[in-house]
Amino acid sequence: MNTRLNDPFVIGGHTLQSRFFLGTGRFPSPAVLQQALEASGTQVITFAVRRINLDDLADDNVLQHVANRGFVYLPNTSGASNADEAVRIARLARSAGLGNWIKVEISAHHRTLLPDPIETLRATERLVKEQFIVLPYTSDDPVLCHRLEEAGAAAVMPGGAPIGTGLGILNPYNLGLIVEEARVPIIVDAGIGSAQDVVQAMELGADGILANTPIAKAQDPVFMALAMKLAVEAGRLSRRAGRIPKKRYASASSELKGRLFEFAGTEGEG
Amino acid sequence: MAESVLVIGGGIIGLSCAWEAAKRGFRVTILEKDTFGGQASGAAAGMLAPFSENTESPDPFFRLCLDSFFLYPSWVHEVEEASGRRVELCRSGSLNVAFHEADLLPMHTRLAWQQTYGVPCEMLSELELRRLEPELSQQAIGALYCPGESHVFAPLLVDALMEVCSKVGVRLIPHAGQLTKLEAGASSGVSVTMTDAGSWHADRVVVCTGAWSGLLEKWFPLTLPVHPIRGQICSFDGTLGDIRHMVFSSQAYWVGKNDGSLVCGASEDVAGFDRSVTERGINRLTKWSGRVFPFLQGSPPQRSWAGLRPATRDGWPLIGCVPGITEVILASGHYRNGILLSPVTAAMVGDLLEGKAESYNNAFRVDRFSRTAERTGSG
Ligand SMILES: Cc1cc2nc3c(=O)[nH]c(=O)nc-3n(C[C@H](O)[C@H](O)[C@H](O)COP(=O)(O)OP(=O)(O)OC[C@H]3O[C@@H](n4cnc5c(N)ncnc54)[C@H](O)[C@@H]3O)c2cc1C
Repeated sequence: MNTRLNDPFVIGGHTLQSRFFLGTGRFPSPAVLQQALEASGTQVITFAVRRINLDDLADDNVLQHVANRGFVYLPNTSGASNADEAVRIARLARSAGLGNWIKVEISAHHRTLLPDPIETLRATERLVKEQFIVLPYTSDDPVLCHRLEEAGAAAVMPGGAPIGTGLGILNPYNLGLIVEEARVPIIVDAGIGSAQDVVQAMELGADGILANTPIAKAQDPVFMALAMKLAVEAGRLSRRAGRIPKKRYASASSELKGRLFEFAGTEGEG
Repeated sequence: MAESVLVIGGGIIGLSCAWEAAKRGFRVTILEKDTFGGQASGAAAGMLAPFSENTESPDPFFRLCLDSFFLYPSWVHEVEEASGRRVELCRSGSLNVAFHEADLLPMHTRLAWQQTYGVPCEMLSELELRRLEPELSQQAIGALYCPGESHVFAPLLVDALMEVCSKVGVRLIPHAGQLTKLEAGASSGVSVTMTDAGSWHADRVVVCTGAWSGLLEKWFPLTLPVHPIRGQICSFDGTLGDIRHMVFSSQAYWVGKNDGSLVCGASEDVAGFDRSVTERGINRLTKWSGRVFPFLQGSPPQRSWAGLRPATRDGWPLIGCVPGITEVILASGHYRNGILLSPVTAAMVGDLLEGKAESYNNAFRVDRFSRTAERTGSG
C-alpha cells in the first residue's frame, strides 16, 4: 500500500514538498543550524532582513551557511513597527536579490511583540500591489485573517501564542475557524513550544508550521527539528485520516446484559 | 598529603582552573598537547561582553556570563599583582549599532530586561552616537550603549596566568602530545598517558580541552557534543583612525587594543579542525569594516589569524563532574565567551574539587545530552 500522501502544498505558484518552514535565528552555532535544517526537511527559511549583509548576500553571516541548498528565502520584516517600515524593508530585500517572497512582521509592543493588525493589513495591501508574494504574520483573529486573504496574501500566518513564548495554540477554536474559512494556506507561526503543539495545529487543519525559537533554543535543536518535521507529517495525516469521535465510555454497547457494573450516568455515546 | 589534580588542556580555561585549584591547596599539573594558549585562547578578541553576547533573555547562561563579568576586575587585579604583568583590562564600553530603523525595536526589547541587572545601558540617538564614536559611518542611526563592558588582551592574560600558575607551584607540561589513555576509578584515582609526556597519576582530573573535547567522548559514559567552529579575525593599523568602544554590528565587531591595533572579528565557519585563514573569510571582514568605518576602506589588515571555538549542541558550556566517576571534572564548550567565563568557571571547578554542590541549578551539567540514553539502560 502506498502510504505517501499525494498532498502538494502550493504557495505563490511554488509547489512545496515540506509543510514546515524554519527561522534561522538564535541557533547555538552554524553547524547546529545546518544539521537542524537538514533534519527538518524544510524548503523555506526565514530570516530578518535587518541582520543581512544586503551589499553582498554570499558574504552574509547566516546566508553563507545556507546557500546552495535550494531553499526558498522568506525574508521577514521583523523589527518594523509600521507599514511604511515594512514596505521599505521588503523593497530593500528584493533589490538585494533575496527574491519576492516577504513575511510581513510588524510589532509595536517591545515586550509581547504581538503583531499590529492594522499596520499588517496596510503593508500586505501595498506589497501585494508591488507584486510581492506576501505572507503576513498576524494574530489569530478569524476576521483579520480573512481580510488579509482578501488583500491578496499568498498565505496567512496566525500566531498560536506570542512569538518565542512556547505557549502553544492558545485559542484552538479561533484557529479552527480560520482554517475553515480560508482559501489560501494557513501557516501557524509563533508560539509553538514542542512537537505536540505542531500536531495540534495540523490536526486543527493548519496547512503548515513556521518555527524558530522552539528549535533553536531546544536543548538539542537537531532532534527537535526532526521531531517537529515528524509532527507536521503526523498531524497532517491524522487530519486527513479523520479521527474517531470522543466518547465518555469505552464501550458503546446498549446491552445491559453481561454488564459488570451498573452506572447512573446520564451520558450516552459521543 | 594534599590531593593531586591533573588538568588536561592549557588554554585559558585549563590555566584558570589550575590556578584556582592550586590556591585552594591542591597539587596541580597541567598537561598541554602543544603550547599553552596556542589555540582559541590566544586567538580571542578578549571582549568581556555579557550584555552584547546575550540579547535574548536572562537565562542561566546570561547569569553565568554576568557573574563572571562581576568577578573580572578583582580577578584580573589578582593576576596582575601575582604575575607582575599587565593584561590591559580596558573598560571601553560597547556600542551595538543600529543601521536600520528596524534594529531599534529589538534593542528596546533587550534594554528593557537588561537594564535591571545592575549595569547601566542606554539607547543613543544618532547625534549622541556620533559624539561618542565620531568615525562611524553616516549610515548608523543609533546604538545601544553599555558603558561597563570591557576587554582584555587575551594573549597577555594567558601569559600572566602561566606566570601565576608557576608561582603557586603548578607544574606546566607543554608539548605533551596526544592523550592515549584516561582511566578513572573511585579508589584508584586517575591515570593519564600522553604520547610525548608519559603516564601521570592523580586523585582528580579536570578536562579543559576546548574544541577537542568531543574527541575524548570515548573515555566517558557520556555524549559530548562539542564541535569546533572556526573564527577568523584580523587587525588593522590603529593610526588609520580612532575606534573608541567595542563596536558590534550584525556582521562583525571591532575593538581598539592598547598596542594601537584595531581588531576586527570574527567569522563563524563550519570547517572541522582546520584552523587556516581563508582569503574569503578575511575579505568579508575587510569589506564590512570599510562600510562601518569609512577610514578603513581599502586598507588591508596588518595581521590575520584564526582559532577554533568549542561549541556545544545548546550553546552552553559543560561544567561539572562526570556522574559515576566524580574524579573527573569537565570544563569545556565555552564557545564565544571563554575569556569572559574563565573566572566563574575556575570558581565552579574549585568548588567541585572541594565537593561542593553544583550551581546554577545544574544548568551546565555535563550529562545533559546523555540523560535519555541512560534511561534506556538496564535500570
Ligand atoms: C576569533 C575568536 C575570537 C574570540 N573572541 C572572544 C572574546 O572576545 N571574548 C571571549 O570571552 N571569548 C572569545 N572567544 C572564545 C574563547 O577564545 C574560547 O571560548 C576560549 O579560548 C576557550 O578556552 P579553552 O581553554 O577551553 O580552549 P583553548 O584555548 O582552545 O584550549 C584548549 C587547549 O587544550 C589542548 N588540548 C586539546 N586536546 C588535548 C588533549 N587531548 N590533551 C592535552 N591537551 C589538549 C589544546 O592544545 C588547547 O591548548 C573567541 C574565540 C575565537 C576563535
